Amino acid sequence: MSKLTRTLALLASIAVVSTAFVACGGGTESTTSTPAANNTASTADNAAEGGDASTAEGGDASTAEGGDASTAEEGGNASTAGGEISLPDTDDTLTIVCWTDSDLANMFDIYTPVNGATPVFQKCGGNGGEASTEYANYLNSGDDVDLFVAEAGWILNYINDDAFSAPLESLGISTADYADAYQYTVEIGTDNNGVLKGASWQAAAGGWAYNTDLAKEYLGVESPEDMQAKVADWDSFAATAQELHDATNGDVYMTASLGGLWQAFSTAKNAAWVSGTTINTDVAKEFTEMAKTYVDNGYVDPSVEQWGTEWQNYGKDKKALGYFFSTWCLGEGAQLEQNCGSEGNWALVNGPQEYFWGGSWLCVSPNCNTATEAANFVRTFTCNADTMEEYALYSGDFANNKVAMDKIVADASNSNPLLGGQDQFAVLADVAAGIKMSDSITKYDQSLKDAFLNALLTAMKSDPSTDADTIISNFTNDAIASNSDLNA
Amino acid sequence: MSMPGQAGSSDAGYQRKIKIKSGAIMAVCILLTLVCLVPIYILIVNSTHTHTALSENPSRFFFGGALGSNLNTLLNKLPADAGKALTRVARQYSGTFAIGKGYLNSLIIAGCTTGLTVFFSAMTAYGIVVYDFKLKSAAYTFIIGVMMIPVQVSSAGFVRFMYSLGLINNFIPLIIPAIAAPAVIFYMHSYMKSSFPLAIVEAARIDGCSEFRTFITISIPMMKPAIAVQAIFAFVANWNNYYTQNMILKNDNMKTIPIMVSNVLAFDKNVDYGVNYLCITLSILPIVIVYFALSKYIVGGVALGGVKE
Amino acid sequence: MASAAQSRIKSISYAKYGYMFIAPFFLVYCFFQIWPLIYTFILSFKGNQSNNAAWVGIDNYTTILFGQGSAAGAMATHEEFVKALGNTFVLWFGNFIPQILLSLLLAVWFTDAKLKLPGKGFFKVVMYMPNIITAASVAALYVNLFGDSKYYFVNATLMNMGMAEPIKFVTDPTISKVMVMFIQTWLWFGNTMIMLMSGILGIAPDLYEAADIDGANSTQQFFNITLPLLQPIMVYTLVTSMIGGLQMFDLPYLYHQGANFSKELETVAVYIYYNFNKGTVDQANYGYAGAASIIIFAITAILGSITFYTNRDKDEIAKKKQRKRAEKQQKAKAKQGGGLSI
Repeated sequence: MSKLTRTLALLASIAVVSTAFVACGGGTESTTSTPAANNTASTADNAAEGGDASTAEGGDASTAEGGDASTAEEGGNASTAGGEISLPDTDDTLTIVCWTDSDLANMFDIYTPVNGATPVFQKCGGNGGEASTEYANYLNSGDDVDLFVAEAGWILNYINDDAFSAPLESLGISTADYADAYQYTVEIGTDNNGVLKGASWQAAAGGWAYNTDLAKEYLGVESPEDMQAKVADWDSFAATAQELHDATNGDVYMTASLGGLWQAFSTAKNAAWVSGTTINTDVAKEFTEMAKTYVDNGYVDPSVEQWGTEWQNYGKDKKALGYFFSTWCLGEGAQLEQNCGSEGNWALVNGPQEYFWGGSWLCVSPNCNTATEAANFVRTFTCNADTMEEYALYSGDFANNKVAMDKIVADASNSNPLLGGQDQFAVLADVAAGIKMSDSITKYDQSLKDAFLNALLTAMKSDPSTDADTIISNFTNDAIASNSDLNA
Repeated sequence: MSMPGQAGSSDAGYQRKIKIKSGAIMAVCILLTLVCLVPIYILIVNSTHTHTALSENPSRFFFGGALGSNLNTLLNKLPADAGKALTRVARQYSGTFAIGKGYLNSLIIAGCTTGLTVFFSAMTAYGIVVYDFKLKSAAYTFIIGVMMIPVQVSSAGFVRFMYSLGLINNFIPLIIPAIAAPAVIFYMHSYMKSSFPLAIVEAARIDGCSEFRTFITISIPMMKPAIAVQAIFAFVANWNNYYTQNMILKNDNMKTIPIMVSNVLAFDKNVDYGVNYLCITLSILPIVIVYFALSKYIVGGVALGGVKE
Repeated sequence: MASAAQSRIKSISYAKYGYMFIAPFFLVYCFFQIWPLIYTFILSFKGNQSNNAAWVGIDNYTTILFGQGSAAGAMATHEEFVKALGNTFVLWFGNFIPQILLSLLLAVWFTDAKLKLPGKGFFKVVMYMPNIITAASVAALYVNLFGDSKYYFVNATLMNMGMAEPIKFVTDPTISKVMVMFIQTWLWFGNTMIMLMSGILGIAPDLYEAADIDGANSTQQFFNITLPLLQPIMVYTLVTSMIGGLQMFDLPYLYHQGANFSKELETVAVYIYYNFNKGTVDQANYGYAGAASIIIFAITAILGSITFYTNRDKDEIAKKKQRKRAEKQQKAKAKQGGGLSI
């Protein structure tokens, strides 16, 4: 029993000591510890402000020199030529940080046989969204990192901070090297001061893939052209969904997930999430209305989580007619094969709207110490038309090089067995050329998109009759609660 | 409810009542045992089925034959004709749930923290019990006062501080703080108070033994039972610690088992159920085995000084 | 009789060794706990996101507590925090009540010598087992077993048995809370049971014997002997569980489907973590996280002391006082009696 009383005695002292704590904290805060705290805070601040200032000057200066130099020497697409590399070469292993190696592995397969060296994939974050928060700590830790991959939704956080990213110029690569690239990828890879900091290997154009057997059985559609005619815009997409719903008694959904529908609908609008510091909800609202109609009429199952298990199985189980798939879903072993099997009974069309999905950029870490190898890698997959063509054919991904992609389409050298021999690049070539997103991305995109989809899906799952205004205000409330920079 | 007077007279009735009651209680206990064990059983069963089998019918109650192939996927030792989809899955899982590395990292962290915790806690308790000094009672009051401060309340400052010291992706912020374990000190203190004869210290001094040596060679062996109990709990707590480790460790080469499991849970693409279950199974296996091996001491130790997380 | 060595030892002051022995603890504790706590306290007076360097006074506190702050989303932030606080309380309460009832019942059964229960040791071992499993693995296990659709074990099994629609164990606001309560209970009832058993075994057996002779049945014995005498350990369990409940993180944070944690299960610990772990310093809300941390710290301290003062054993304190008085009197007597020690 005495042990118990003693145990209890300590509880009393918690209170006593903790009060002392708060008092003590309060005291020191105003005297001794303030300088230290201020130091840390102001360093961060300096890094942001001072960093901006220095890139503005230094960055511009070097673009002028380096850029000129490289165009002068190079003039073509040779991967050897280039500007001066200013980062060190003290390490042998090229380390690339990313949350997944599904694209990188394809690149390594092409890169290693030619160059001998195998770059190292260093994983950080379980998925793209998680990576956006995990990177900050990883990149700061001092662990080896030469290049890192960032997504459109949050790339601005990292390329606008010199503590995390160095200009591509420091690898001797300049904007001029991206003459054949899809322009939006260059614009997004450029920071607020006009310094190129990220280069993409892909132009993530998206299309709508559908099950040809189901289309034939219930819609009488024979060819991708006929299908495209039936889903040419959102009205006909909805009409076809109704037709399918009637023909199957609601057993087959038009498309697998609201997430995919949202992607196609929203990116084509090219509207920024934030203007000034105000959240722009127009597109979200429009989509909410549409989503409600789709759910009410049974065109789509709101409980399906994008990428989730049901989403995966709806293809094979013939529960959904189609998926919105980006190019990186279409290669061997990717989502198309995983969800739909490899029988080749699927086909790709442009769908109701030209859109794009994600896209990833290679960025240079300021701590890069394998500069030559890194420069070579970046050039191989973002500048060099030959290797990029090889990559596109090997991976099924839409490479970020007009010359290479035009050549593939012209040569008809690509045929995708998963799509019954169709060439996805031919379908998507125009879409890629038309992508505009550079004006509309902000550093809050990832968090706002997550908040919106969360608000929408929560409402759709629990009570589909929730009105659009409520959903939107749930979303904005959630968004401004966690983003003190913004207002609704 | 038998009347008091009847208790003695109708002994057979009383016995029968006890029997019935015992039977009912047994039934409840067996039910609870099932509730505890069935999830684990299903987990292990499911890790022996392929992804395809589990997607077709996830309701599996009996072992399948795919444990080997799931293990090969997890270890990225696929047959040459495995296909690109499976290769993707294998690369993803083997990179994230690098089981050998995970065990090793968890073992290093849990091992070092356990050693530091019990040694320094014993030392601190010894210092407070054996010596007389001005701040003695103040020190003890402080220790029991801070005993229950949750880690969460200082974690924002902790992570920023470690960030500024460049100690992210480093075991130091996870291991060194183990030196300061107020709850363990509290326990060691009460143990020493009740069963450590101070006269023995005097005797050692007369023999010319130095203070530190006395602590190491005489006091530690005498405190073995307390140290053993606390070591087990410290080890389990640190092996299972997800919160702090997840804040500090961002590099795959340094990740521990709980972080790896949470990373597997975060996969949104290329998910394979069988391998998922296998990962979870492997993550709990060592600790469950150790538990059943040491269950006598652990269950006995809970009441003595198990500290709630 | 004192030998030379003894007198030499007596003359040495050992106080410095005391400080030496406790120094490592205090150094490490200050460096890794106190300073971060003070730092958190400082952060709670600074801004969030792009305003992170500015000194904002008590703005974060007024925002979180009352919804009045400089940010446009002050009210929303306040609502989120209050919701997190509510969730924390609901989840804690919902697992503590069944847990303590179940544990108490089992503890009474297992310590009742009159009942014939074979395999008590086995039951104890099995029931304690969930407590040693990594919480992250437990969350992963339950998410994989109780997934929302027919592609997961429990729903598939129920649907094979004839259920029409899958139950949304993970995403439904209410059901997911109940699930987390259940899992928490699953994790902790064995632990609580063993704690209570040791408390019951500490009660003098002659009390029960006397009660038996008086003819009290087991229900009466439970309410008149066991429960009152178990009060201190019940209080201890309550307080540790409450403080543990305030820290509830792993399970609510990991029990979700899709990319983000479930807002319906957002506890205060999750709230804190989410706000400071949002990527670059420019994206994170260190101010809110800091203020929430300090509030939790205060709540912990208050809960701990209230529970203690309302439940402390008054008899014990009175006895202690008496004992002290007696000792004093005795000492005084001893002095009068010529310094004879007893």
